[in-house]
Amino acid sequence: MGSYLLKRLGQSVLTVFLTISTVFVLIRLAPGDPAAAYAGPLATTEDLAKIRASFGLDRSVVEQYLLFLKGILTGDLGTSYSFRSPALDVVLERLPFTITLALAAILITTVVSVPLGVWMARRADTTRELGANVVTIAGQSMPDFWSGIMLLTVFAVLVPVLPASGFATWGGLVLPAVTVAILQIALISRLVRSEMAKNLTAPYLTVARSRGVSERALVWRYAMTNSSIPVVTALGTRFASMLNGVVVVEVVFAWPGVGSLVVRALETRDYPLIQATVLVTAALAVTVQLLVDLAYPLLDPRVRLGKKVSA
Amino acid sequence: MSTTHPGPARVRRSEPRPSAVTAKHLARAKVTRQRRGSRLKLWAGLVCTLLVVIPVALARVLPLPGPDQQDLAGRRLAPLVDGHLFGTDQLGRDLLSRVLHGGQVSLLVGLLAVVVSGVIGVVLGASAGYFGGWVDTVVSRLLEAQLSLPLLMMLLLVVALFGPSIPVITFVIAIAQWPEVARLTRSLVLVEREKPYVAAARVLGLHRFAILLRHVLPNVVKQASLVVLLLLAQAVLLESALSYLGAGPQRPFATWGRIISDGQDYITTSWWMVTLPGLVIVALVVGVNLLGDGLRDRARRRKVSTP
Repeated sequence: MGSYLLKRLGQSVLTVFLTISTVFVLIRLAPGDPAAAYAGPLATTEDLAKIRASFGLDRSVVEQYLLFLKGILTGDLGTSYSFRSPALDVVLERLPFTITLALAAILITTVVSVPLGVWMARRADTTRELGANVVTIAGQSMPDFWSGIMLLTVFAVLVPVLPASGFATWGGLVLPAVTVAILQIALISRLVRSEMAKNLTAPYLTVARSRGVSERALVWRYAMTNSSIPVVTALGTRFASMLNGVVVVEVVFAWPGVGSLVVRALETRDYPLIQATVLVTAALAVTVQLLVDLAYPLLDPRVRLGKKVSA
Repeated sequence: MSTTHPGPARVRRSEPRPSAVTAKHLARAKVTRQRRGSRLKLWAGLVCTLLVVIPVALARVLPLPGPDQQDLAGRRLAPLVDGHLFGTDQLGRDLLSRVLHGGQVSLLVGLLAVVVSGVIGVVLGASAGYFGGWVDTVVSRLLEAQLSLPLLMMLLLVVALFGPSIPVITFVIAIAQWPEVARLTRSLVLVEREKPYVAAARVLGLHRFAILLRHVLPNVVKQASLVVLLLLAQAVLLESALSYLGAGPQRPFATWGRIISDGQDYITTSWWMVTLPGLVIVALVVGVNLLGDGLRDRARRRKVSTP
C-alpha cells in the first residue's frame, strides 16, 4: 500500500512535470512576441528591448527554464503580463469557477446517466432501448458550442428564465453545466448500460433471484455494486479532464473559469499565465485521478492496490 | 424481466409441464431483435451521412451562388427567401453554399486526420503489443500522459505555433486521436501474439517484423478498423470546435465552426445563421456515429456466435 502510493505519487509528479515542460518549450517556439503584444503598435525597438528585459525574456531559454523550475519550488510563477499581478493568484482566483462548473456538470451527469443506463440495461435489445440508444448517440454528436448557443437562445433569449452569461447568480450555472453534461451523459449512460447488462445476466444474479431477492435489490445492490468500478473510473476521468478547463463552453457562456482564461492568455502570449494555468490544472487533474484509483478498494474489496484485478 | 431471464417460473405441480417456448427460441428472438436494431442503425446512419456528404461533394456542381459572393442588398435573408434555401448571412452570402463549401474542408480534414491517426495508432500500438518490453513501456506511458494533458489547450497552442493551415490542423487532430487506435491495436495484438500460428511462423524462421507485418497485422486490422467511423465523427467535432475558437482553417473557405461563431452575434435576429449549420454537423456526426455503432454491434455479435 505504502510503496504503491509512493509509486503513484511519483508517476503523478512526473506527468505534471512533463506536461508543464512541454508547454514551456511549445510556447517559446511559437511565433508572436509577448513584448510586442504588451507594448502595443507604437512601441519603439528600445521599448521592446526594455520590456523583454523586465519580463526576463532576454535570457537564454535554458536559463528561463531553470528559473521557472526554481519558481515552482518557491511558489512564484512570475507576473502575468496582461493582469500585472502574480500569475498564480490570477489562476487561483478563476479556479473556483471551473471547479464549480465541473462539479455541477458531473452531478447532473451522474444523476441522469446512471438511472438511464440501468433502464437501458433492463430493457436490453427492445425497441425502447434502441430509441434511448439513438438519443444518446445524438447527444454525443452535438458540438458543445452549438448546443450551448441553442440552449442559450431558448432559455435566455426566447424564454428569458435563466441568465445568458457570466456567474452572477446560481441560475447562471444551469446552462453551462447542462451543456457540458449533455456529452458526458451520452458516454456514461452507455457505459452503465453495457456494464449492467453484463452483470444482470451473470450467474450470481440468477442465484440471488432464485433465493427471492427483490428485483430492486438485485439491480441496485447486486448488479450496481459490481458495475461501479468502471463507472466511477469513467466519471473520475471525465471530472479530471473538465478541471483542465471546459474551454469551449466557458467561451460560449463567458464563464470566468480557467478555460476562457487560457484562450485569452494564448492570444496575448502571456507566458507566465499560460504556464501557471497548465501547472495548476494538470496538478489538480492528476490528483483527482489518483484519488479515484485509491477509492477502488472501498468499492470492491477484491481489489488490492498495486495488483491487477482478475475479475 | 422475464424476457431477459427465461426459466420455468410458474411450475407448481410436481411434474413439470414442458413449455412450447424453449430457451433456444428466446435466444433466437433476442438475436433477431438485435439484428433488426443494428440494421436500423445502419440504414438511418447511411441516410443521415449521405444527406450531408452528397451535397457537400457536389457543392461545385450544384446551382448555387459562390460561397464568397456578397450581396449587400440581400443581407440576412430568412431561409427560402429569394431562392436561398438556408437564407443569407450578414454580408448577403448564400448560407447553404458556404456550409457546403466549408464542409468540403471539414470533411477533408476529418478524413485525413483519421488516416494519419490510424497509421500512427496501428504502428505504435502493434509494436507495443508485439515487442513488449521497453517499446511497450514507452508507448503506454505516452498514452497515459496524453490522458492527463489539457488536450484542447495543447491543440490551440500548436495551432498558434504553426498557423491554422489544413496540414497543421489535420496533424493536430490526429495527435489527439491516435491513443484510441493504439490502445485497441495493442490489446488485439497481445491476444493474437499468443496464437499457435505465430509460434509456427517463428519456428519456420521468419523475421519478427515479417511475422508482425504479414501475419499478425492482417488479422488485427479488420477489427481495429471498426473504430474508424467513430474516430471520423470525433474528428469532425474537434475540427469544428477548433474553428469555432478561431483556430480553424481560414482558406479556401470558412469551415462549420467558424460559420457558427460568425453567426452567433446575430442569433437574436437571425436564428438560421447558427441553427442550420449546426444541424448539418449534427446530421453528419449522428449518421457516422450510427453507422459505426451498427457495424460494431454486428461484428461483436458475429464474434459471439462463431466459436
